[in-house]
Amino acid sequence: MGRQFLPALFIISPPLLPHSPSEPPLEPPNFPGDVVAHHPLFNPLQPGYLPPISITPPSTRKRKAAEAAITDDQPLPESATKAAHTGNATLVGRSRKPKPASTGPATTCPQSTESASSASSTCQKKRELATPATTEASMDSDDDFMSDVSSQDDFLDMQGSDDESLGEDFGDLDTGFSDDKDLLKQKRKPYEVEFKVLNPPEIEREQLVQINEVSAILGLPPESAAILMRFGRWKQEKLIEGYMEHPEETLEEAGLGTNFEGTAKTEVVPGFSCEICCEEGDDLESYAMRCGHRFCVDCYRHYLGQKIKEEGEAARIQCPGNKCHRIVDSRSLDLLVTDELKDRYRTLLTRTYVDDKDNLRWCPAPNCEYAVDCAVKTRDLRRIVPTVRCICKHEFCFGCSVADHQPTPCTLVKMWLQKCEDDSETANWISANTKECPRCVSTIEKNGGCNHMTCRKCKHEFCWMCMGLWSEHGTSWYNCNRFEEKSGHDARSAQAKSRASLERYLHYYNRYANHEQSAKLDKDLYLKTEKKMTSLQSQSGLSWIEVQFLDTASQALQQCRQTLKWTYAFAFYLARNNIATIFEDNQADLEMAVEGLSEMFEKPVSELAELKVDILDKTAYCNKRRVILLSDTAENLKNGEWSFNVEW
Amino acid sequence: MSLCLNRLQEERKQWRRDHPFGFVAKPKRTEQGTLDLKLWSCAVPGKKDTLWDGGVFKLDVIFPDEYPTKPPKCKFTPPLFHPNVYPSGTVCLSILNEEEAWRPAITIKQILLGIQDLLNDPNPESPAQAEAYNMFKKDRPGYERKVRQVVRENPPM
Repeated sequence: MGRQFLPALFIISPPLLPHSPSEPPLEPPNFPGDVVAHHPLFNPLQPGYLPPISITPPSTRKRKAAEAAITDDQPLPESATKAAHTGNATLVGRSRKPKPASTGPATTCPQSTESASSASSTCQKKRELATPATTEASMDSDDDFMSDVSSQDDFLDMQGSDDESLGEDFGDLDTGFSDDKDLLKQKRKPYEVEFKVLNPPEIEREQLVQINEVSAILGLPPESAAILMRFGRWKQEKLIEGYMEHPEETLEEAGLGTNFEGTAKTEVVPGFSCEICCEEGDDLESYAMRCGHRFCVDCYRHYLGQKIKEEGEAARIQCPGNKCHRIVDSRSLDLLVTDELKDRYRTLLTRTYVDDKDNLRWCPAPNCEYAVDCAVKTRDLRRIVPTVRCICKHEFCFGCSVADHQPTPCTLVKMWLQKCEDDSETANWISANTKECPRCVSTIEKNGGCNHMTCRKCKHEFCWMCMGLWSEHGTSWYNCNRFEEKSGHDARSAQAKSRASLERYLHYYNRYANHEQSAKLDKDLYLKTEKKMTSLQSQSGLSWIEVQFLDTASQALQQCRQTLKWTYAFAFYLARNNIATIFEDNQADLEMAVEGLSEMFEKPVSELAELKVDILDKTAYCNKRRVILLSDTAENLKNGEWSFNVEW
Repeated sequence: MSLCLNRLQEERKQWRRDHPFGFVAKPKRTEQGTLDLKLWSCAVPGKKDTLWDGGVFKLDVIFPDEYPTKPPKCKFTPPLFHPNVYPSGTVCLSILNEEEAWRPAITIKQILLGIQDLLNDPNPESPAQAEAYNMFKKDRPGYERKVRQVVRENPPM
C-alpha cells in the first residue's frame, strides 16, 4: 500500500487526441511488470516523489477506471474493467475530458480514504507537489491499465493531476446522486451527509402513501385522514396512538368532528338564506360540510378563493361559520373551486407538508421547487454540518438553509452573521478608540492636544495615557512614564482588551469578506470564461473538450473560496490549541493554492493554453486541499475534539 | 349590487329590526348627505355590574371593499384607555383579525357584543398600548381608578 503510482487510469493514445503543445508526450499504458522500476517510492530522488497523502483502495480504483470507460449510470460489472482495458478509445475520450461536476455521468465518489490520511497529510501538506501523486496510490489494481512503456518522470505530475481532477469531478457528482445508497455509505467523505432530492410530484406521492395508510388503519375517509395527519404534523405513530386513546378529542382538535356520514354535494334547500350574502331564494345552490353550516355556493367559493389566493392558506381553512373550527377538506374544496385554485391548493399543501416534516427542507434557491430529504436532526447540528446539493446545483446547509457554510457549524454561522451585521462592532470600535472618564464614565475621544484631560462634564483631570490622576503626574507632565501607576491600571487593561478583541475580529472579518468579494470577482470572470474558451479554441486550435479545464478550474475556485470564507468564521470562534494550529495550516495551504489558481485564471487568453497543465494541476490540488481540510474539520467536529472560545 | 353593499344593506335591516339594548350602529352620512354604508358610527355600553358600567363608548366601524371576506376595522373615537386598544383607537380582537377568528358569517351585532365583552375582560396576551397594559399588569387599583374616570368622561348620550 501507499505506493505512489501513476495514473494508469488515463491513457491517452496520441492518434486519438490532439494535445496542447506544452503537454508532454502522451503516456502509453503501463503494465505491472515495469512499475517497480520507475515507481517513485523506489526512487526517492525523483523530483515528483512524495510520500503518499491519500490512498484509494483498489476496489474504488477499479471502479473508477471502469466508470471512466463505460457509459453513464451503468452498473459496474467486473467485466467493465476488462472492457476498459481493451477499449482504449472510449477511455481516452472520457478521461481527457474534465467534466463539470454537474453534467457528467453520475457516479459515486471514489475518494473515501482522505479522512484516514488527512491527519498524516497535515504534516506533509507544505509540499504542494504532493498532490499529483496523491490519488492513485494503490498498486494492487494497477493491472487495469499498466503498460510496458515507462512513464516519464517529468510528466508524472501532469498526468496525476489530470487524473485527479477527473476524480474530483466524479467526487462532486455523488452529491447529486443518491440511488446507490450502499455505495454512497461506503464512499462518503466525513463531511458529507446522505440525502435525497425530491421533486413536487414525488413529495405529493409521499403524502398520499401516508394518508392512505392512516386512512386504512383508522377507517377514516382519505380526506379526513389527511386533515388528521396535517394536524399531527405527520407523526403517524404518535397520531394513531393518540387517536386510539381519545378518538373523539383527537378528531375535535384536528378540526374534523366525529360525523363522517354523508357525501359532499351542493344542494338546493327550500327556505335557505345565506348568512354571508343574505341572499335567499328557492333555487339558491348551497353547500355545508358535515358541521352543517350552510352557505350559498358563491359565498363559499369566494371565501375559499380568498383564503387560498390571498392568504396562502390551505391546510387550516376553517368553516366560514362563526366559531366553527371544522377544517375544509379537499373533497369539499374539489367540489367548489376552479382547477386553477385546486392546483394552488395542492401546492400550498405540499408546502406545509415539507415545512411540517423535520426530514424535509425546501431548496432555498430562487424559483427552485425541489425539496431535500435528509435524516440529520437539529440536535446533530453540533456535530455535523449537513451540506446538501439540490438538483438545481445550489449547495446549502440542511440545518439552516444558509448557502454552503462548511466547515462552520450552523450555530456559529448564525452568531458570526449576526456579529457581522449588527452594531456590536460599532460599540466595539467606540470602546477601542475612545476612553471613559475615570470618574463620570463619559465617553471621550481625544482628537488632539496634550495628555492633560479635563472632563467637560465632571471636570475630572486625568492623564490620557495612563488614565491616572493628573495630580499624581508631578512634573513629568508630557512624558507619561508612570506605567505601573495603580490608578490607571484598570482603565488601561480594559481598554487594551477591547482593542485586542476588535483587532482580532477585524482580522477574521477582513479575510472572510475578502473571500466573499473574491468569489464574486471570480464569478464575474467565470461568466467571461465561456467567451475565453471560445476564443481559446480559435486561437490555439484546441477542441471544445480541450478547453473545458477552464470551466473546471472556475468551479473549483468558487467552491474553495466558499469554504475558505467560512474557515475564517470558524477560526474566529476556535480556541487556540494544537488542532487549531493544524487547522490553520490546512487553511493556509488551501488559501495559497486558491490564490495561485486565481492568479493563473486571470492571465490573458493567449497564455492560457500554455498554462493548461499548470491550471489543471492547481485545480486538482485546490480540490484536494479542500477535501482534506473539510474532512479533518468534520472528523474533529464529530468527535467533539474542537474547543471553542464561545458557548454555543 | 356588490356582495359588500348587499350584505351591509341587510345588516342594517336586521339591526333596525332588532338590536341589543344600549348599543348604537348606523351608517354615517357623507358630506353630500347620502348614506355611506361602508362607514358606520357605533356605540358600545359598558356591561352591567362591571367597572365599565355607566359608560357608552363611541367607535367607527370601517368596512373594506372585500367585506365580508375581510373583517371591518373598529376604531374608538376618541382612542380608549384599554389594554387591547391601540393608541390610534383601533381595537385588537381575535374575531376582527382575518388570520384568526374572523368568519364571513360574523354579524355587526356579534362584533359589537364581542367588543363589549372585551372591555371588562382584556386579553393580556396581546397588549396594544403601553399605558393601560402596564397599569393593568402592575397597578390594578390605579388601572381601576383610571377606568372609572374614563367611564365618567363617556356618559350615555
